[in-house]
Amino acid sequence: MRVLVVEDDQVLNRSLSEQLERAGYAVDRAEDGREGLYYATEYPLDLAIVDLGLPTLSGVELIKGLRAEGKEYPVLVLTARDRWQDKVEALKFGADDYVVKPFHIEELLARVDALLRRAGGWAQSELVCGPIMLDTRSQEVRVEGEPLELTSFEYKLLEYLMLHAGEVLSKTQITEALYDQDFERDSNVIEVLIGRLRRKLDPDGRYKPIQTLRGRGYRVALARGNDAESASEETA
Amino acid sequence: MLLGVSAVLVVLFGITIFALDLTFQRSTERALEELLDAQLLGLIALAEPDPVLGLTLPEDPADSRFNVADSGLYGALWDGTGARIWQSLSLLDRGVDPGPLPEPGERRFTDIVMPGLAPARGLLMGIAWEYADGKVGTFTFGAMVSLEPYTARQQSFRRNLIGWFAGISLAMLVVIAGLLGLVLRPVGRLERQVRAVEAGQRSQLSGRVPTELKGLAGNLNALIDTERRRQARYRNTLDDLAHSLKTPLAVMRTLLGDSGRTETAEDAELIQAVDRMEERVTYQLRRARASGATGLGMEPVKVAPVLDDLKLTLDKVYRDKAISAEVAASSNVVFLGDAGDFTEIAGNIIENAYKYGRARVRVRAWNEDGSLRLTVEDDGPGISPGEAEALIERGSRADESVPGQGIGLAVVREIADLYQGQLTVGESDLGGAKIDLDLRRASYDSERM
Repeated sequence: MRVLVVEDDQVLNRSLSEQLERAGYAVDRAEDGREGLYYATEYPLDLAIVDLGLPTLSGVELIKGLRAEGKEYPVLVLTARDRWQDKVEALKFGADDYVVKPFHIEELLARVDALLRRAGGWAQSELVCGPIMLDTRSQEVRVEGEPLELTSFEYKLLEYLMLHAGEVLSKTQITEALYDQDFERDSNVIEVLIGRLRRKLDPDGRYKPIQTLRGRGYRVALARGNDAESASEETA
Repeated sequence: MLLGVSAVLVVLFGITIFALDLTFQRSTERALEELLDAQLLGLIALAEPDPVLGLTLPEDPADSRFNVADSGLYGALWDGTGARIWQSLSLLDRGVDPGPLPEPGERRFTDIVMPGLAPARGLLMGIAWEYADGKVGTFTFGAMVSLEPYTARQQSFRRNLIGWFAGISLAMLVVIAGLLGLVLRPVGRLERQVRAVEAGQRSQLSGRVPTELKGLAGNLNALIDTERRRQARYRNTLDDLAHSLKTPLAVMRTLLGDSGRTETAEDAELIQAVDRMEERVTYQLRRARASGATGLGMEPVKVAPVLDDLKLTLDKVYRDKAISAEVAASSNVVFLGDAGDFTEIAGNIIENAYKYGRARVRVRAWNEDGSLRLTVEDDGPGISPGEAEALIERGSRADESVPGQGIGLAVVREIADLYQGQLTVGESDLGGAKIDLDLRRASYDSERM
């Protein structure tokens, strides 16, 4: 998952980015509005975290700009002013959620997680595809109810695939989502990881959880679990 | 105003009437004197020497009025001893008292009273008559005119004069009243506009004022503008302050919460300190930002779009809960005050409903007797009477309240107080809490409607 952080306070920007990286995201950083808008429109992002009070171009303008460019990934707004008028304005012009400064990092990560899930069409933090259950909050994976040990890269790959279950994802897309820019694009790491994931998820070859579409990419073809049912359970 | 003008008119016309009357009287008097002069000369010319009396006048004088009884024109002749030797027939047998007789060659006008007749004006003239034989006798001729017709004319003149002037005054007053109305109408319009600005029904005075008042309107607009700018500057300062305080707090928090960092014993205390600072800063800044202003230059805030925007915002933020919210506010519902204040109040209350509600939220707003009413209901667990009391209790401070919700509702209270707001917590028929807010100073007074 590739996340852009646009925050003009360097210390906050760095520490926020580090924690996002630690949580498994590939992070791009910008420190002013114009730079932020450039990244927001040029990079293949999955989510952007935008501070409203930015130099050179305000957060709201940045959001307007990236939406005008047709970018549809979720945008999380950071605001110090904590004014309803600001929140309303930001959300009206295309932001999806807001976090008021100073925030707890867990809160922010939970919001990011929820936004990414929603963007993939998932209402809950537990993603279910056939026998596979992945909890984005606890980063736990179960197959037929049995816990499965994955390395952090394997987890990130599976999460990305499952968030977009049903969609065809190209190797480039996957690479860009999981790695920072400087990654060697011609490497066969993705194939290797996919192979390892298949063996771990489906040692018997019964479910075929990840399809390969030659020349186009990969796809999780298993039916998504019943979202509606679990949704009503949680709110009840 | 009109009263002053009429007083001035009365005084001015009074003086004019007096002057005209005096002039008329003078000219009447002069005419009278000329008449007397002529009549007297006529009498002198007709006088004949008489051996017994010294002088005599013919039976038939030049002016026939001398021979008509009580005609108003009278004549008389006295000799040097003061004995009356002739008097006109018009006097009948009445005597005439001329007072002391003038010396020969002297002319004297005098008021003469004749018994049984109206007061008269007389001219006496003493002459020395030289007879053919060279002897000289002194005589006094007198001509008298009754003042009655002149007095009557004077009175009728006066009546006419006063009548005309009263008429003219009245006409002028009507015209002046009309003109004043015409002149003052723009002032009245300006006054109404100022009142509308005060009430927040408009933000500026319109340009539709006559040239004479442009300066005044301009000054007022400048004043309004200055006030608005002052407000804006104040808010910007607060926003900058918020930004410059909260971002470092966010830094501290992220650094403290950094999972890669080895936790020390001080961490917990530091986190607590940061939490406390955050709460105070948040609360105080929000409180300071509330303006409560309904004064100059405030445009009325249309409530429905604000509520719709808030619904849109919260629908997005609480998308996972799939809350079905219903907003009922007609398009003419207004909040007289600061848009930010209202958004803050409504945002906090409605967010609570989204937070605690299960699936339904109902928001209604309407104007009623100069107040704005807002009710927000949800189908959540509701608020117990004890909690409600703590919530409504005056002076509940941020550091006594629960973080998050506490600050939200404490701020609602603080802002609502500025609009003489009354906050009631009850039960909704949806099953959860019902917050009823009555902002009494937030709509048009019925008298202003």
